Amino acid sequence: MQLFSEHLIKDHILSKIDARVKIVCALVLLGMVLSYRGYVFPLVVLFTSFILCLVIKAPLRLVLLRFAEPLFIIAMVILLKFLFTGQEEIFSINLAGLKITGHIDGLMEGLKIAGRILGAVSIITVLGFVTPFTEIIAGLSWFRIPKGFIEILMFAYRYIFLLLEDAFVIYQAQKNRLGYIDMRKGLNSFGLLAGTLVIRSFDQSQKTALAMIQRGYTGNMPGLKHSPLKMGEAALALLFIIFAGAIWMIQ
Amino acid sequence: MKKIFVFTLFVWLISSGNAYAMHISEGILPFNWAVLWFLVAAPFVAWGLHELKRLSAVDISFKPLVGLMAAVVFIISCMPVPVPTAGTCSHPCGTGISGILVGPAISILITAVALLIQALFLAHGGLSTWGADIVSMGVVGSFAGYLTFKGLRALKANLWIAGFMAGLLADWATYTTTSIELALGIRGDSPFMPLFYKILIAFIPTQLPLGILEGAMTAGIVVLLYKKRPDLLVKMRVIKPQQIAALVITFLLLVLPASYTSASGEWGGVDESVVEKYAEEHGRPARAPIVNTDQGDLLLFVFLLGGAVGGFAAGYCWRRLMEQKPCRGLKP
Repeated sequence: MQLFSEHLIKDHILSKIDARVKIVCALVLLGMVLSYRGYVFPLVVLFTSFILCLVIKAPLRLVLLRFAEPLFIIAMVILLKFLFTGQEEIFSINLAGLKITGHIDGLMEGLKIAGRILGAVSIITVLGFVTPFTEIIAGLSWFRIPKGFIEILMFAYRYIFLLLEDAFVIYQAQKNRLGYIDMRKGLNSFGLLAGTLVIRSFDQSQKTALAMIQRGYTGNMPGLKHSPLKMGEAALALLFIIFAGAIWMIQ
Repeated sequence: MKKIFVFTLFVWLISSGNAYAMHISEGILPFNWAVLWFLVAAPFVAWGLHELKRLSAVDISFKPLVGLMAAVVFIISCMPVPVPTAGTCSHPCGTGISGILVGPAISILITAVALLIQALFLAHGGLSTWGADIVSMGVVGSFAGYLTFKGLRALKANLWIAGFMAGLLADWATYTTTSIELALGIRGDSPFMPLFYKILIAFIPTQLPLGILEGAMTAGIVVLLYKKRPDLLVKMRVIKPQQIAALVITFLLLVLPASYTSASGEWGGVDESVVEKYAEEHGRPARAPIVNTDQGDLLLFVFLLGGAVGGFAAGYCWRRLMEQKPCRGLKP
């Protein structure tokens, strides 16, 4: 299952870096991309992220899949900004009684937003590829994210795969029994599938709770232990942020 | 032949790559708006955590249940549902059903968890738009679903109807809030309302039918739980019906007098306030209708007549419409 890119845990330079450092760098870079007013910085981030994906040998199909939805959003935003916002008209046509006007300043604004989206998505994509989810959870707990949230996140991550398998088995059984032969049957089957997943989740939660209680669970998960942060990595992260900040200053 | 074509189209739509969710994609919102939506979402998530702590102190199995519900919401909101009118796929929210089953507070927490996992690994939504997505899907979606369901059940509505309306309104409320957030974030110096309407209209082909599909899905889940596992429904945290009725009555008492005392008096429909207004601004005023039905109650009578004819026809052909057709070509 390529959902969480677990298969990308390979031995490369980024896999050796502490998850906490990677999270901080990603968040700072994200903030810089969002607050940038020009075009250059997000595109530099995008280009660097693609290079990193090539270095860690991430499958191109998976990378493009991550960008599929954002690309649609980008197309919509550019169209909206170009046709409906802005003052400087570059063309105006009459199409079946409808006046369509293009605005150059709207287009430029749309392209700026597009750059921002691409830069931001590339940061999160690289973070997802180079950091296993369990390390991200551990990193979040170090940043004092509430314990209850971390526990729910761990349970959800643990059982997504189990429920996905159940969903796949049910879906196959329904398909074999012509459950998706037309729209009405398809919707009915889909509702049954979702309802069965809910029932399974309730039952599984009871079993899980019983198993955990038998192993000493008292309602709170034991705290995650963290290895001390390496000063070398922290210093490297600081240098990276200063370097990125210097490029960001070119507005 | 027709069935093979429909089935193939269905499979193609399901397997097509593009799926348009209601999450706001990473990077769309400027920095200040991203921070603002985080600040709006934070108290609700804190409330969810407080409720989680309180309820898990009473029932030790509550945290695993919430974690598993988060996994279910994640899976449901990743499932592509073909939308025939748009010719593409989209995703249900799942927050309507989670709001009904675990209440809005826990549902907000569940949504936050599901959105975080989706943002990190599926590029659905984003980290910077996490706050905005929590507000639209988690807060607005959960409350809309929960209050609609409870309100309709307090008014003795059928379980299927209550579930359907809860899922429908949760979906549409989420999509409306997303449109507001998008319009505020990307408008720049342009006015808010025209851009908001345009975004809303752009989403209609996908999200309007998807809301109906999600309503049907939510109703199906609730009815299935009622038939197969009513004990699970008993475990739901419920606001007392008297409180819901009081809430509805209070709302009506506040809103109805306000509407009568408003300076503009009669409210115009969307035909006048949106369509005709923009048409006139662009030099295309509405002309007089060819057949003017705006005479007394003539229009209402025509609608009544049409409804009566349609209802009679549907009733007369009910069996033919609803009964399963025998398989052709398969002879014993």
